[in-house]
Amino acid sequence: MTITSHAASVRFENVTKAYGAVVAVDRVSFTIEPGQLVTLLGPSGCGKTTTLRLIAGLEMATDGHIFIGENDVTKLPVTDRDVSMVFQSYALFPHMNVNENVGYGLKVSGMKKREAQERSQEALRLVGLSDLGERMPAALSGGQQQRVAVARALVLEPQVLLFDEPLSNLDAKLRRRVREEVREIQQNLGLTTVYVTHDQEEALAVSDRIVVMKNAAIAQEGTPRELYDHPANSFVADFIGDANIVEGTILGGGGETANVRIGCLEMELPCRSASAGPAKIAIRPEAIRLSAGDHGTGMRGTVRKATYLGNHLEYTIETEVGPLFVSDPHVEAPVAPGEIVGVQFEHRGVTLINDPSDDAERASESSPQ
Amino acid sequence: MMSFHRVLHDERVWSFALVAPALVTVGLLFIYPLGFSAVSAFSAEEGGWTFANFIKAFDLYSNDILFTVVIVSLSTVLIGFFAIAIGGYLTLGENPYAVAILKWLYRWPLFIPFIVAAQLMRTFLAKNGLMNNLIVGSGLLEPMQTQSFLDWRGIVITFVWKQTPFVALLVAGAMASLDRSMIESARNLGASRIRILVEIILPQVRPTIVVGLILSFVVMMSVLSVPIMINAQTPTMLTVDMAFRINAYGDYGVANALGFISYLMTGVVAWIYLRQGVRQGAAP
Repeated sequence: MTITSHAASVRFENVTKAYGAVVAVDRVSFTIEPGQLVTLLGPSGCGKTTTLRLIAGLEMATDGHIFIGENDVTKLPVTDRDVSMVFQSYALFPHMNVNENVGYGLKVSGMKKREAQERSQEALRLVGLSDLGERMPAALSGGQQQRVAVARALVLEPQVLLFDEPLSNLDAKLRRRVREEVREIQQNLGLTTVYVTHDQEEALAVSDRIVVMKNAAIAQEGTPRELYDHPANSFVADFIGDANIVEGTILGGGGETANVRIGCLEMELPCRSASAGPAKIAIRPEAIRLSAGDHGTGMRGTVRKATYLGNHLEYTIETEVGPLFVSDPHVEAPVAPGEIVGVQFEHRGVTLINDPSDDAERASESSPQ
Repeated sequence: MMSFHRVLHDERVWSFALVAPALVTVGLLFIYPLGFSAVSAFSAEEGGWTFANFIKAFDLYSNDILFTVVIVSLSTVLIGFFAIAIGGYLTLGENPYAVAILKWLYRWPLFIPFIVAAQLMRTFLAKNGLMNNLIVGSGLLEPMQTQSFLDWRGIVITFVWKQTPFVALLVAGAMASLDRSMIESARNLGASRIRILVEIILPQVRPTIVVGLILSFVVMMSVLSVPIMINAQTPTMLTVDMAFRINAYGDYGVANALGFISYLMTGVVAWIYLRQGVRQGAAP
């Protein structure tokens, strides 16, 4: 007996979830294609877990529609949705052994005992725990408990598999290994998976697509590369990886690019329909090149802080556009604090932020209180 | 000889001094009366040891002993059932208003003394009591068809009404402390609420239920006011018999023998309680 996939798409159409006056999810729309792993990423309180719980049916939408496959499941109770969830705390039943935990959903569904046992065994084999069926959850490590929770979700062959911050209770090394295992199982079985995390590195590592959420709404949606290379706003730029957000000026442009001045430097950056005037620019720390010594022309900066981190150096450089955080792979030639360095920007890793919401935020920040 | 200074700095002395008031209280108010009562039960009036009090107690009150065991056991079972139902609804109920009302209401009987509860039940369960008046008023029964519940049923109803909140309080607390995601996980796996209660929640709060029921059992064994006010006729409970032996005959020997039999019954459940405590690490 093998575990197979019944992957279905997930579609949100203007879904809102409000608790009284507090709106946890605000008119959110997105589509997840069958067999994709999509991560809901964002800071605490942004609405990502509520969105996941809306898919599971653990919360009911206040407004809008949720589709799984072609079925409108908006009003369907949790027990009637073909969706399995792996909880942050794993939520294993402590009085049942591993076999009983994994087979519980099958038992509830009325499957014959023998068939359920075979299916549970197969699920445990998939997560590499075939020999631990008789163990109680308390006798398992955190990583093993996490895999039991995955097996318990997989065994039902759900249309959609949900993960609510599944790695947050694991140490850093184990987290990396388990996330690779989760991704491998998802890809091998072709499962539609929705994954919630606040860890951007985890999101970049496991996802086909990422939905970045902020203040109960979607800030940007795209592939990991799209989000990293072309953040739509300063929030996404700063949340997906590190970014220096600096003020610049659009000098002019047309078509797909714009001429931008950053301090004393001028660059041509990709941007649609940019109008001349002040703008925000996101600069990745690894897109900043430093050259030792006073270079006369070009941007210069003073090293305020230098930190050695084994495979790279991190600097804080004071420049005319403000302090810049720099990640430099040239560990063999460190620059000491206090030294003057030349500063240049590579094209990849510098993004013109052309989002009106950023302007609105800037206006609200500068307006008198 | 230990000097006064050394005694003053001996931690054991201070530790003992700290627990001494509690020890004295337990000794004077529990160990001494218990021991005295046990010794009296086995003592003849003219002196010496005897089983005569026990033989007389069994001759006169064997039906009441059985009655007491049955009444208290039945009440314990019903208390367990209702406490689980209340705790289960408070934990799994989906109507927030119903949950809030139940949460507010169910604890009230906790604050009503047994004797007041018994008086309430007398007016409620009598042939012309409030319950029958309501039933007759609603047209379900004719006045001649009504019957009094002031018998064994009245005792059971009063015990259950009075003790269910206590056990429900413990059980609901234990249920509330369970990881909520475990319940959500079971729902996500397709389990109904009844199934979650029976298969997921109850096995985890079983020790608390057992402790609550044992404590209730012991309390009901010692209540005099309820059986004496609701059902003083034969058969009745051992507490009524003990009061009768003392008040009517001054027969402390048989009263103490009946008391000793009560100790044995509660001793069995106390043993279960202690075993439970050892299993859990420490009894609450």
